[in-house]
Amino acid sequence: MRDASDPRLAVLMSREYKYLRLQWSPTYSALRLRTFVKPIQCYSLAAMSELQSVFSYISENPGLVKHYVMSSDVQGVFNFGGDLSLFVLLIRARDLESLRMYGRRCIELVWWMENASKLGVHTTVLVQGDTLGGGLESVMPFHKVIFERSAQAGFPEVLFNLFPGMGAWNFTIRKAGFSIANEMILSGRLYTAEQLQRRQLVDVVVDDGEGEAAIEATIAAVNPRLRGTLAALEARRQAAPVTYEALMTIVDQWAHTAMQLTDRDLRLMERLSRAQARKAGGGSAGAVDEIKRIELDTAWGEERGTGITVWGGLGS
Amino acid sequence: MQPFFADLVARTDEARRDFETNPVVLDAVAHGMPLPRYRALLLELYHLVWHFNPICAAAASRIPDELRQVRYFLYEHMHEESGHEQWVSNDLEAVGVAHTKVLDHQPSVHTLALLGYNYWSADRCNPNSVLGMMYTLEVIASVYGGTFAEAIRQSLLLEGDRGVSFISSHATMDAEHMAELRQILNTISDEAAHEAIVNSTLVNFHYFTRMFESI
Repeated sequence: MRDASDPRLAVLMSREYKYLRLQWSPTYSALRLRTFVKPIQCYSLAAMSELQSVFSYISENPGLVKHYVMSSDVQGVFNFGGDLSLFVLLIRARDLESLRMYGRRCIELVWWMENASKLGVHTTVLVQGDTLGGGLESVMPFHKVIFERSAQAGFPEVLFNLFPGMGAWNFTIRKAGFSIANEMILSGRLYTAEQLQRRQLVDVVVDDGEGEAAIEATIAAVNPRLRGTLAALEARRQAAPVTYEALMTIVDQWAHTAMQLTDRDLRLMERLSRAQARKAGGGSAGAVDEIKRIELDTAWGEERGTGITVWGGLGS
Repeated sequence: MQPFFADLVARTDEARRDFETNPVVLDAVAHGMPLPRYRALLLELYHLVWHFNPICAAAASRIPDELRQVRYFLYEHMHEESGHEQWVSNDLEAVGVAHTKVLDHQPSVHTLALLGYNYWSADRCNPNSVLGMMYTLEVIASVYGGTFAEAIRQSLLLEGDRGVSFISSHATMDAEHMAELRQILNTISDEAAHEAIVNSTLVNFHYFTRMFESI
């Protein structure tokens, strides 16, 4: 048990964060991190810098944090993923270098999560609300993934001729296998919490409002056998390795692909980006609703033989 | 060390996001705006466009010889932008505002502050600050201009580019400009110039957002 008087902890907890809220639970040496990214709950450059600084501090102080728990403080949204309007800006500026830099920063965060067991940290995530693209990718490396029942998630990137490049393939294949990865990434479909659990990507589904209790139960169950659990999780990593090199190669390919997007693709990306912002502004319809609308538009395009990319509907 | 353009994007990211998620901007991009507000916006834009080249000229005259590529970039850009105030005036005429009224229009305090800052900054601070003004305007035009022009066209039932020629054409043109601007920004290694460009971008986003809110 580590109390708040530990000077190393005091440094971490007293730092000022604009987009993160930190809470310490001394009973389990658990760091709770809630994201609150303004104005849109996505992986903005500034939010990623704050996350990186927390991760670096944990790495530099081994043994300080034993459980890391992440959730969102934004009603109805876990995370919308990449900063789409930033992507549009960089693609229009033909700035491959900056796009790669953005992608590589994401991979650094994912890689920290992947290595958490080696650092002696057990990781748990609670998803309450929509999580799309990079938001879902960021969830996958957690040791324990908890979804509340109303949460929805998916990889919509194929909608605008892109693919999720920050670990989606690697972690979906590891957890659910090739065919599920193909289905999810190439269809761009949205999935309910239960559908994701059936696909082995979510460990626990609880009723809305029960997420906090599920976190408590997870930590209470893992903590007495933490060293063994972490050793087993580390061995699991070795059994089905995801390498830093593979993640970096894919994210570079993602950046190159993004540079080839057409005006139509960018307009679709802008449409989703505006939907993200509408939800951030208090609107009821967000990016998930926009994706459903685009699915319908696309289906109509197919019907009329316009040759727009096929999209599956919400299925089982 | 990362290229300066990437640094500029990162350091001004929040100002850009504040602009794009401003409720007034969001609403305009999604639904267009009523005719009186669109007229008011174009009247403000007219003055911004009219002063764009003089501000660039003031800056170009003070750019040091070591940064001659920036000076040449400004010359070319001024040449390309010459006469574009007339496009705004034509759009205003298409939505019922005579040219004489355009000239009589007193810009809002936000537009005056934006223009005043850009002249002052080019003249009294660091002439490279003009690149911050250009970056802001090109981000706004290339990232948001196309969808905004379309929303205006639909909400006001305008045909083709009539009434939206300035915004619509700059949305396409400024995508090219943005790529050129990135190249020129990455040639600048002077720290003081970097700071001036970042500060100017923050101020330009701030006042452009306030101007948009006020119309």
